[in-house]
Amino acid sequence: MNNKNESRSLPLFGIPRLFPFLKKYRAKIAFMILLGFLSSLIDTIYPLFNRYAIDHFVAEKTLDGIGVMVAVYLVILLLQVVINYRSMLDSGKVEMSMNRDLRNAAFSKIQMLSFSYFNQNSVGYIHARIMSDTGKIGEAVSWRMMDCVWNGAYILFAVFVMLAVDRVLAGWMLLLMAAAGVMIWFFQKALVVQNRQIREWNAKISADFNEGVTGARTIKLLGIEKRMDREFEEDTGNMRRTSVRAGRTSAQMISAVTLMSSIALAVVLWQGQILTREGLIRIGTLSVFMSYALGMIEPLQTIISNISAFIAIQVNIERFTRLLNEPAQVQDTPEVIRLYGDSFSPARENWEDIRGDVEFRDVTFRYPDGEENVLEHFDLKVPAGSNIAIVGETGAGKTTLVNLVCRFYEPTSGQVLIDGKDVRERSLLWLHSHLGYVLQSPHLFSGTVRENLQYGRPDATDEEIREALRIVHAQAAAERLGGLDGKIGEGGGSLSTGEKQLLSFARAILADPRLLILDEATSSVDTVTERAIQEAIKTVTMGRTSFVIAHRLSTIRDADLILVVEDGRIIEQGTHRELMDKRGAYYDYQRTR
Amino acid sequence: MKQEHTEKTGSWMLLAGFLKGSLHLFIYSMLCAGAVSFLDMLGPRVISFTVDSVIGDRPASLPAPLKAWADQGGITWLRGKPWRVAVIVAGIALAAAVFRFLFRYFNAVAAQQLVQTMRERLYRKIIGLPYSWHGRNAAGDIIQRCTSDVETIKVFVSEQLTSLVRVIVLIVLAMAFMWMIDPVMTAAASVYIPVIIGYSLFFYSRIGSAFEKADAQEGILSAIAQENLTGVRVVRAFGREEYERSRFEKQNEQYTGFWVRLMKILTINWVVGDLVTGLQYLLIICMGTAMCVRGRITAGQFIAFFSYNAMLTWPVRSLGRVISEMSKAGISLERLAYILKEPTEWETENALAETDVQGCNKDGKSSGPIKGDILFRNVSFTYPGSSVPAVRNVSFTVKEGTTVGILGGTGSGKTTLLLLLERVYPLQEGCGEITIGGKSIAQIPLDQLRRSIGIVDQEPFLFSRSLKENLRISAEDASDEELERCVKIADLQETIRSFPSGYDTFVGERGVTLSGGQKQRAAIARTLIRHCPVMIFDDSLSAVDSQTDERIRHALAKETKGATVFLVSHRVSTLRGADLILVMEEGRICEQGTHETLLEKGGMYAKIFRMQSENAARTAEKEYAGGKGENADEQ
Repeated sequence: MNNKNESRSLPLFGIPRLFPFLKKYRAKIAFMILLGFLSSLIDTIYPLFNRYAIDHFVAEKTLDGIGVMVAVYLVILLLQVVINYRSMLDSGKVEMSMNRDLRNAAFSKIQMLSFSYFNQNSVGYIHARIMSDTGKIGEAVSWRMMDCVWNGAYILFAVFVMLAVDRVLAGWMLLLMAAAGVMIWFFQKALVVQNRQIREWNAKISADFNEGVTGARTIKLLGIEKRMDREFEEDTGNMRRTSVRAGRTSAQMISAVTLMSSIALAVVLWQGQILTREGLIRIGTLSVFMSYALGMIEPLQTIISNISAFIAIQVNIERFTRLLNEPAQVQDTPEVIRLYGDSFSPARENWEDIRGDVEFRDVTFRYPDGEENVLEHFDLKVPAGSNIAIVGETGAGKTTLVNLVCRFYEPTSGQVLIDGKDVRERSLLWLHSHLGYVLQSPHLFSGTVRENLQYGRPDATDEEIREALRIVHAQAAAERLGGLDGKIGEGGGSLSTGEKQLLSFARAILADPRLLILDEATSSVDTVTERAIQEAIKTVTMGRTSFVIAHRLSTIRDADLILVVEDGRIIEQGTHRELMDKRGAYYDYQRTR
Repeated sequence: MKQEHTEKTGSWMLLAGFLKGSLHLFIYSMLCAGAVSFLDMLGPRVISFTVDSVIGDRPASLPAPLKAWADQGGITWLRGKPWRVAVIVAGIALAAAVFRFLFRYFNAVAAQQLVQTMRERLYRKIIGLPYSWHGRNAAGDIIQRCTSDVETIKVFVSEQLTSLVRVIVLIVLAMAFMWMIDPVMTAAASVYIPVIIGYSLFFYSRIGSAFEKADAQEGILSAIAQENLTGVRVVRAFGREEYERSRFEKQNEQYTGFWVRLMKILTINWVVGDLVTGLQYLLIICMGTAMCVRGRITAGQFIAFFSYNAMLTWPVRSLGRVISEMSKAGISLERLAYILKEPTEWETENALAETDVQGCNKDGKSSGPIKGDILFRNVSFTYPGSSVPAVRNVSFTVKEGTTVGILGGTGSGKTTLLLLLERVYPLQEGCGEITIGGKSIAQIPLDQLRRSIGIVDQEPFLFSRSLKENLRISAEDASDEELERCVKIADLQETIRSFPSGYDTFVGERGVTLSGGQKQRAAIARTLIRHCPVMIFDDSLSAVDSQTDERIRHALAKETKGATVFLVSHRVSTLRGADLILVMEEGRICEQGTHETLLEKGGMYAKIFRMQSENAARTAEKEYAGGKGENADEQ
């Protein structure tokens, strides 16, 4: 989506942005780093045992004192095992705890964000922020950081030991290491670009799978298996080519770098010969250098590949923090939260009862990503308990009014009042707790029929649930699923659209809301059922303030007020009779029916 | 128990199938790896030779021809200039670098080939599997298998399995060189190999089951997030944010717990390796020192032995790693086998073998569209997993070129009937027969059948690509004029014009979100362009307002002249012009006939007609008495 500013580099790879999350684990991370240093220190000590054995026992042809060496070795070994256990376990815990905290934070944030955010970002995009970015960040701050500590410390100690043992040889080693470092850096730069391409193709292939699975029926009915398969093969072919290119680069890098390490070995041998012949160093010293020559290139490579991983992860950090900092277009003010509580810890004791008067006062509205005003200086008074119908062509803006009543959006200017008080003066949850909303494309959750119906009122009894099902004539659908304990699959599974509409209607009724919104709630329900529900709708809407959006005009004839919407404007309003007498748009509308 | 075993070997056999096309590349890669290992071993030999015979003055221990050269002045020559040894070492290193590059390169090519094969087989399988299979399996779960499990297997094969050969070559070579220096010490050094393999096997099943749990829990967590996002309107409208959050956090905590447990096992596994390796080092140092002191080996040999031993460490540790990774890969393979073991529609239904996997005839061409009367005879159908039949004993005949209207209650089996005609669900044995032009649909190749019947779904699915590509998806060679003509019939031209990039507007999940009505109209255009002899409109205009609905219906009526048309609708006005109207109730056809005969009969149809025209009449009351008459002219 927002590809443009993703390659921007952040100071310190963006890690400072994570400080609020890292704070909790400060002590643990500091301890981990300390242990990492100790472990690497011990690693650098090992070759010295070998040297000691050669220079002391072998050269002097005696085994006296070997017991002490063994004892020291064992102590050090055990110490290292304990240290490694502790630091690896802590790294794992920090990684997983960070992941958990980041995911929870992202999920909570998502619960607060406004609809405009969901309209601008696809589900897949947001899902990746919650599930995959967090994992990558957690890995970076634990294992990757520890990798840098372990290997960095090893190099540091090795250089230190080499400098202490022999400066000339150490100088050669440092020179070669610097050369290797430059080389690795050069390759990594190419790899970063290639890996980005791989990720892009990977995302495409995941999307292909997604489409193949969710669009399976359409693919079958259109008979386009062959075409889809061919296109998929094009994508996997591209993926292979890109990956092979990256594979070649990394093969070049690894062979070049190991070549460097062998050359370091050759140099040590060459210089070592001269030095030993001149009696400047012992053979044992030479063997120490050779172990370092072999042992240092790999840590160097690990550090550099981790640095490039940090570069890649900046994107994830950037996206993740952008999500957390995303301002909610609609949110409660601190004063409101103080009085009513927020969405996670509501202060229900302070909640007023709701009557259901709704008033639009001089409302002008424009969608955050829109260019034109959808409403201009709109006034409307809806007394509690009235039934408002909204009519108009597809895309005329009927849903906008409803969105404002539900406070899914807030007016650009003017006020929406409920019971005479601006909606912004009470909490979102207060409003939503008194709201029933049935959508044209209803969403059911996976789970049992009971769980779905209880969604709006968790304490509803089976009796009440059955009653709600009866009112909307959805008993048959529930029976077919296997009763209240019957499973509803992902997104409604085997139910027809009409049945899903009925169940979501039952769900709304069960919640016993003061404000009821039916957005094309029964568009896919058959006439007989609809007629039967018609009576139910009348009973249910009685005493509640209700907004009904409908194409089928039979549903709205008895409304207290009908609004006719066209091009985002209300062009007519009145009762059925008044509008018919007017012989305007509504009249024409009825004629064609 | 036994069955479990055969299932496991079965999934490893699957891997052999995946390796087709990449196996030879993996073998090249392994051969190069062998060469690399051999050259890597030469280094320490040169070092020990240098330390002993060039710097020191012990007689060279070399294979015969080299020894002759060394004795006849070779050593003196090497001693002359110290860089000469260095050049030899560098030369070997260069050769090793070339092979190392080839090894890695072949490995990358082979691994990518393997992944491509796996993905393509999975994809082809998934789009070929019967729809009932898709109904049983959650989308998120299948996708996770196709992406992350494929990755696990690739990593295992390209990093672990190929390294296995290299590991064994390295172990054998290192041991051989070590053996040449001292057999006793070699025997002592190798003691830890069975220890490492032993404890790795001990951890094998523990890692496997811990991984499986964590993997499954990830699926659960991912599904909660997915549902929360797709159902965001419902969550907000019911004010259930707190419930959603606590549900997510609970599962998240559990997921974290599973991973921490897995990490703990892995850590113990690794640390035990550290301990065993460290002890083995100590053993070698002590033994080596003692032998040097007693004069059995030289200092140079000791250094060389020690460096060979260091080379042994990595391969032996890898051996342990291969075992623990194998337990993960085994689980991933089983998860893929779950998808691949199911037969596709092409395999189960077309016993005639007229078509290949792609649904084409042997000569590579699709046969022409099928024609004729469509006959349903005593058709019954029950969805898998349900006890109530969705369609019960349905019989009717549709003459070629006529229009059938289907009216029926919500969930009365209308859509099921049409899906049976398309063979999206196969007819069960002994549950009746559907024929087209006298031929049972079970005898008609699936591809030919579905190419002949165009259906417009109630909730259509659009692919994430441009609008133009979507409309042309099953008629790639349609001309632009033809495309525009169909778009006009579906009344979509205004909508397209309103998009800044017109036909090139990207739609679907990652593009512009179309409204329900816009999607339905796009689906109509997409189907019209196919020019099928049979067309099905399954309540395809439910999300369109009545004025647009009427415009489209008029245009459609003209367009579909000559075709056999099925119309499903709740609106009598849509159906009344049909040559045959079926009224369905609880899976049965309770009435059939034309508009007039059904009205006369005074049953269900007449009742619905009354209800709907009552509405219209009430609308028309006084003010507009002539409305009904005008309505009758439609269609």
